[in-house]
Amino acid sequence: MSSVRSLEAELTAAITTHDALDFETWARRIFRHQFERNAPYRAVCERRGVRPETLARWEDVPAVPAAAFRRHDLACGPPEAVFRTSGTTAPETRGHHLVPHLALYRASALAAFERFVLPDDARLACLFLVPPPELLPDSSLARMCTWVGEAFGHGVEWFVGAGGLDLERLLDRLAGAERRGDAVLVGGVTSAFIQLFDACAARRHAFRLGPGSRVMDTGGAKGLLRPLSRAGFLRACWTTLGVAGYACVNEYGMTELCSQRYESVLRDRFDGRGLAPRRWLAPPWLRTRVLDPDTLEPTRAGDVGLLCHHDLANAGSVAVVLTEDLGRTIGDDGIEVMGRAAMAPPRGCGLLLAELGAA
Amino acid sequence: MNEPARKPGCATPDRLATLVDAAIEARAGLRGRALGDTAASLGEAAARWAADARLREELPAAARLSAPVVAEAIRLSAAAVDTAGMLALIEHEFGAGAAERPAPDGPALVGHVLAANVPALALPAIALGCLVGGAVVVKSGRDDALSAPAFHRALEAVDPALAATVVTAYWPGGDRACEEAAFRRAAVVVASGTDETVTALAGRLGARLIANGERTSVAAVSREGLGRDEPLAERLAVDIALHDQRGCLSPRAVYVEADGAPSPMAFAERLAAALERVARELPPGPATVEERAAQQLLASEAEWEAGSRVLAGAGGLVVYDPRAAFRPIAGRRAIRVHPVATLAALPVVLPKRRVECVGLATSGPEAAALVPGLRSLGVARLCPIGRMQQPTLAWPRGQRLPLGSLRGRPDGGALEIET
Repeated sequence: MSSVRSLEAELTAAITTHDALDFETWARRIFRHQFERNAPYRAVCERRGVRPETLARWEDVPAVPAAAFRRHDLACGPPEAVFRTSGTTAPETRGHHLVPHLALYRASALAAFERFVLPDDARLACLFLVPPPELLPDSSLARMCTWVGEAFGHGVEWFVGAGGLDLERLLDRLAGAERRGDAVLVGGVTSAFIQLFDACAARRHAFRLGPGSRVMDTGGAKGLLRPLSRAGFLRACWTTLGVAGYACVNEYGMTELCSQRYESVLRDRFDGRGLAPRRWLAPPWLRTRVLDPDTLEPTRAGDVGLLCHHDLANAGSVAVVLTEDLGRTIGDDGIEVMGRAAMAPPRGCGLLLAELGAA
Repeated sequence: MNEPARKPGCATPDRLATLVDAAIEARAGLRGRALGDTAASLGEAAARWAADARLREELPAAARLSAPVVAEAIRLSAAAVDTAGMLALIEHEFGAGAAERPAPDGPALVGHVLAANVPALALPAIALGCLVGGAVVVKSGRDDALSAPAFHRALEAVDPALAATVVTAYWPGGDRACEEAAFRRAAVVVASGTDETVTALAGRLGARLIANGERTSVAAVSREGLGRDEPLAERLAVDIALHDQRGCLSPRAVYVEADGAPSPMAFAERLAAALERVARELPPGPATVEERAAQQLLASEAEWEAGSRVLAGAGGLVVYDPRAAFRPIAGRRAIRVHPVATLAALPVVLPKRRVECVGLATSGPEAAALVPGLRSLGVARLCPIGRMQQPTLAWPRGQRLPLGSLRGRPDGGALEIET
């Protein structure tokens, strides 16, 4: 057990202190760690003839399909927390991610959030359009928001309850922030933002939030009451909240991963690359390969394929996850998510509100 | 109008409304026509349609199917609209001598919204509408805006007066103005497509809508069926390959009784080999990246399931799955083979109101024993394996009588049993 802690604690420390990470070395160490401790994973690796001592490249670490999280407990030790995917009330089709070392998850989530959403070290009041962890204790998004509020926020408020989005309270809070000229971080699922936009449109009301305010949304088109393009979303952020497009950052994450990707806009602006294309960037300990669906070899640059994430922060479960998401590379550091495999079940935190509604 | 062979922007609301009005008027002029004459014209037009060279040339690209698969689809669709079959259907639903009489009172206008997944759905749609004595307006599916106008051309050549009662059009799904113009006078609208599509239409059309949402099909093989001296795996492979397995009659799972010979696993191997052979005659069409991804994920997922085995090849994908529970399967020409102790378990393991057809390789008494359970499950068609993609016009889709449902008769739990 002590060696489990040491590997994960060492990685936590490296992420927290922004140490340079040798991805290849860590990938090999973590594969060995998981091969030795994660029995279902080891069984599949052995069937494929892949062992730590025969691994030629980090890209050869066997990937686990996201669907396997629905039926297997994929952990290297006793979990400190279990997170479950949203999207359906049928328990057998909900993926679950057992996380043995929450400190590593927290370190990864916070470091990436700070890097891409708060590159200017801003410390803002956090208004979350997400259910609080007391309501959905197995939601990884709720947990992440809690950590963000604790680490970077001054004041955290939650605006989604058992009955869904508490619009009146949210509108009051936004009005107060506008009056005071406060900068705020409004974070939550895309579908909740659309409810907010629609409510403001119906009342012919718009806010001008204080300078430095920003939006972080996640979940994309899933669970939306009406379709809204990304451009439409950004336009609504400006017209409804007064938050410019460069301060609106979309998050791409999965319950099965302890690291997330974020839209590049704020980071690019901070780095003086304001003309760079919008793309989803990852912290150094998360790499994503776009794989040809027929061969599982990398696609040519820009071609659409299956997204396969190698997340070192998943050291306690499985590091390489083959998703049902389709996407492509943009430039040499970014990706764009384009859709889902045919008949892939709807899932993701975008459906959190729909689930609450169903309850 | 009867739109030209191109997809977008063919229909405009004003033009549609004018054409529909004219079709209803033309139909009123045929009030005294004997149904047998209508059936004869439809049958002749179907045969003429099947010989349409332009259709055969253009449909594969539009439908994303290979030319041999399209050729087979055209052959089977035309065969389903044969005069003898229509006469039998008329007599079955309207009584003896019905072919000599005009259509009984029915809808003045029947609307159809066709699904995009399978080509040539326009033929049965138009034929059934004509046989209940209504004018017909057909909205083609996204991937086949060709078959409907081609059939209209064929009908025009055979029977211009009947052709004048038919309107074919294409507009992108969700165009409310076109929808309203086409269906405002329709007594009934039959829509097939995704659950999302038919749910959206239900909100707009209300009780006038007959919704054929997403359905699937399965096959079932008893020990006796397994032991017969017949190319069962080849027949099932053809059922899978036709339409590239996109249709609601396409089998997605086969339940095989264990303890027979060959074993379910050996049957899975035979099926994988048969899919390879069939693919040489009926090659698959181009797959989208979404479909290819689904196929890959299916194989990846099966690797993680105890006792599962994946048999993949250029002809398709067979997953041996020791669990009996039906699970929706994505991919192209992909099927799960489930061993079961007895086929009597089918009504328990299959989902309710989701299975349209069960292809059988069983003895007669075994099949008869399955009928009550499958009927209560919502199954609408039982047939031998190898004929799953060859429904006649009498197929009671969704357990509804094909003509009676258009005349507003309540659902009757209809089940077609083809032996």
